[in-house]
Amino acid sequence: MTTRHERPAPAIITPSAGDTSFPVATCLSNGVPVYILGKGTVDLLRVEFVFGAGQKMEKVNLAASATNAMLTEGTARYDATELNNLIDSTGALFNHMADKDTAGLVAVTLPRKLDQVMELAEEVLFHPVFPEKEFRMLMEKRLQAFLTGRQKTSVIARETFYQALCGENNPYGRIFNRQDYLSLKTDALRELHSLCYRPANMYITVAGKDPEQALPVLEKYFSRNSNERWHKPSPPPMEFNTASPGMLFCEMANTVQSTVRMGWKAITRDHPDYQSLQVATMILGGYFGSRLMRNIREEKGYTYGIHAVSGAFHGIGYIVILTDVANIYREDTLKEIKKEIAALREKEIAGEEMELVRNHLMGEIARMFDGPFAVAEAIRGVIDYDAGLDYYTRFASTVRTITPGKIKELFNTYFNTEDAFEIIAGEK
Amino acid sequence: MIRFERYTLANGLRVIVHRDAGTPMVTTNILYDAGSRDEDPAATGLAHLFEHLMFEGTRAVPVFDAPVMMSGGENNAFTNNDLTNYYITLPASNMETALWLEADRMAGLDLSEERLMTQKSVVIEEFRQRYLNQPYGDLMSLLRPLAYKVHPYRWPAIGMDISHIENADSDLATRFYRRYYNPSNAILCVAGNTVADDVFSLAEKWFGGIPAGEHNHRSLPREPEQNERREMKVSRKVPADHLLIAFHTGRRQSRDFYVLDLLTDILAGCDSARFSEQLVRKKELFSDADIYLSGEIDPGLVIFSGRLKNGVDIRKAEEAVSDELNRLSSEPITAAEMEKARNRYDSHRLMSYLNASNKAFNLAFHELLGDAEGINTETEHYMSVTEEEIASASSRTFRPENCSVLYYLQETT
Repeated sequence: MTTRHERPAPAIITPSAGDTSFPVATCLSNGVPVYILGKGTVDLLRVEFVFGAGQKMEKVNLAASATNAMLTEGTARYDATELNNLIDSTGALFNHMADKDTAGLVAVTLPRKLDQVMELAEEVLFHPVFPEKEFRMLMEKRLQAFLTGRQKTSVIARETFYQALCGENNPYGRIFNRQDYLSLKTDALRELHSLCYRPANMYITVAGKDPEQALPVLEKYFSRNSNERWHKPSPPPMEFNTASPGMLFCEMANTVQSTVRMGWKAITRDHPDYQSLQVATMILGGYFGSRLMRNIREEKGYTYGIHAVSGAFHGIGYIVILTDVANIYREDTLKEIKKEIAALREKEIAGEEMELVRNHLMGEIARMFDGPFAVAEAIRGVIDYDAGLDYYTRFASTVRTITPGKIKELFNTYFNTEDAFEIIAGEK
Repeated sequence: MIRFERYTLANGLRVIVHRDAGTPMVTTNILYDAGSRDEDPAATGLAHLFEHLMFEGTRAVPVFDAPVMMSGGENNAFTNNDLTNYYITLPASNMETALWLEADRMAGLDLSEERLMTQKSVVIEEFRQRYLNQPYGDLMSLLRPLAYKVHPYRWPAIGMDISHIENADSDLATRFYRRYYNPSNAILCVAGNTVADDVFSLAEKWFGGIPAGEHNHRSLPREPEQNERREMKVSRKVPADHLLIAFHTGRRQSRDFYVLDLLTDILAGCDSARFSEQLVRKKELFSDADIYLSGEIDPGLVIFSGRLKNGVDIRKAEEAVSDELNRLSSEPITAAEMEKARNRYDSHRLMSYLNASNKAFNLAFHELLGDAEGINTETEHYMSVTEEEIASASSRTFRPENCSVLYYLQETT
């Protein structure tokens, strides 16, 4: 018998992304789209309600996230205590979700409680009353959290970056202040709610085991009682006011580390290079063995982690590199980031590195489609950004066919570090 | 019900397999029975530092991550006070690669002085990033040595102090590896789209030749019973005061663990729970009020953790928490509260079954506790908890002389 060390390593089978299709929506009788994501093996249902009710819809700062948080704080039929009791008694979990573009609610429930849980979901989504006491308590708590964030180098650097990228008056770039928390009134919440939380402005995803069972229940609570019909939402126009590139230093007192964030404007999802750019960014800093991790963490030990990301909002895309490093290493970190980018602009990556990233990404895509709950999360980004239900099928094919030559070209086109905002948040 | 099969190799490696045909993936989870409780008090943080070194390659596999990536996989690890856990999730067709990689780094590492130096500095930056450069980041590092005087739970897994990590040398690391990273000290659990016989024969193929090594028969100092209240006050640059109260309780497998785990869910597990209702909404003392079990294997803690509203006196806030805990004897838990907690337990249990990697770790963890079947029998432990048990566990636990209180105050400048 051979010993373990003499045995050849197992052969690796090239991973495939598997089935990457999203289903076409079914509609309730009022036209609200419902995406049914089945094949679950665990006896749970996840129902998500998504509204075009994110931060970009607010006329008053903080109104969108506060509206969303206040949904379960009292409705026409129940006060906050009654409501929480009713929700918790079902064993269901209600998660609020509010970001820059959308807002809504996720309910995870045992199928036998579905009717009761959907009745409560309808109540909180469409009949909240925004009571003053609960509102004041929410805002006090949020102000505390906001002030805690003011002491985090990572938070300050992130906000500074999006402000530089999008402009201080753009909803993606806006930075809140203490006064915003003190001056918000419930009227602004009522206004945003009546404008945005409507059947005309929503879609639903249902994931789990036999998700079709939810359809008659959704029809009962979300269609039958309403005269309003769904129509394709038209997001408000956005104005971007990108700052000129350069160094932005955010001075903070007594930090033992600094956050370094270097980034610039790039392309949006509708650009033909968008998916390829995801692959290129991954090579630079998207995995444990990436160029940046190898250099800054594994060779120099400057940081616990360094990452590069390319992403896009509606109307603007970006590439950003971020890390937390000891104060003394921050200038050198910026220099090394530029060095790694320059290397990728000059020389094609080796076939093996290409293969590694290709295979890893195929596995990543397969994991994104591993079970209906995972698919429910993946489909949101695709619907919210109108990226097309075949987004991941196209992505899998991009990943399969991209070449080192194309990667080099992408670095030369989209990684001009002279365009970068170089942000450091930390002590002087 | 999570079905599994079990097999033990001659060298003592325990192998557990759970088949889940609903996923195209498998997770190989390998748990080592070694955590920060096994460290020398003068050299803490070693178990976690060692976890980093396990990714630094061997002679056969100089870059651990490369074959994982090539296989379409992802991997990570964590260290806590009790154990160190490593996992790889990858397409089922490449399961053997994961088993090969785990066996290879169990059999021998290529520990160079240079790699040790780099990982020491990475871990020091992790220490700074997660514990020192975060408002409230040092709460638990302060509470532990207040609550424990003798048992190694008195330091956190990251270590007692940065200097311990700075002083770690390759001798220390090599000794730690030889002592703990052995088949007889590990549990391998594979969950996902595979069958038990395949896993067992591949485990035999790759792990079978590794010598059994030493088993970790630990004899840790027992924490003496606490008999007076402990208090500590610190001030930090934070926007609000924070209160921590810790009570000693039983082992992970004691009856009190299940009773108090259910109780803490009733007190603070959801928005309609007693603490949210009374301390947050009605009395408006806290913006957040939580209570939970530390969940460690040796006798652990029940920890109250609350962020105060500005302007509230911390002693008054603490009194209100005590009132709530005392109320458990005057106003016992109601049938409705019990029902709510059981329903919530049910949903949470099912949610934890959603991904194979979660099941893989939980099976391995229960095997470490004594029997992987615990993942199934545990439900009965929770469902059978009675109102009387809650009352008696509460009065046993929530005693003033059994508590350690940390006042984490806003610095006044």
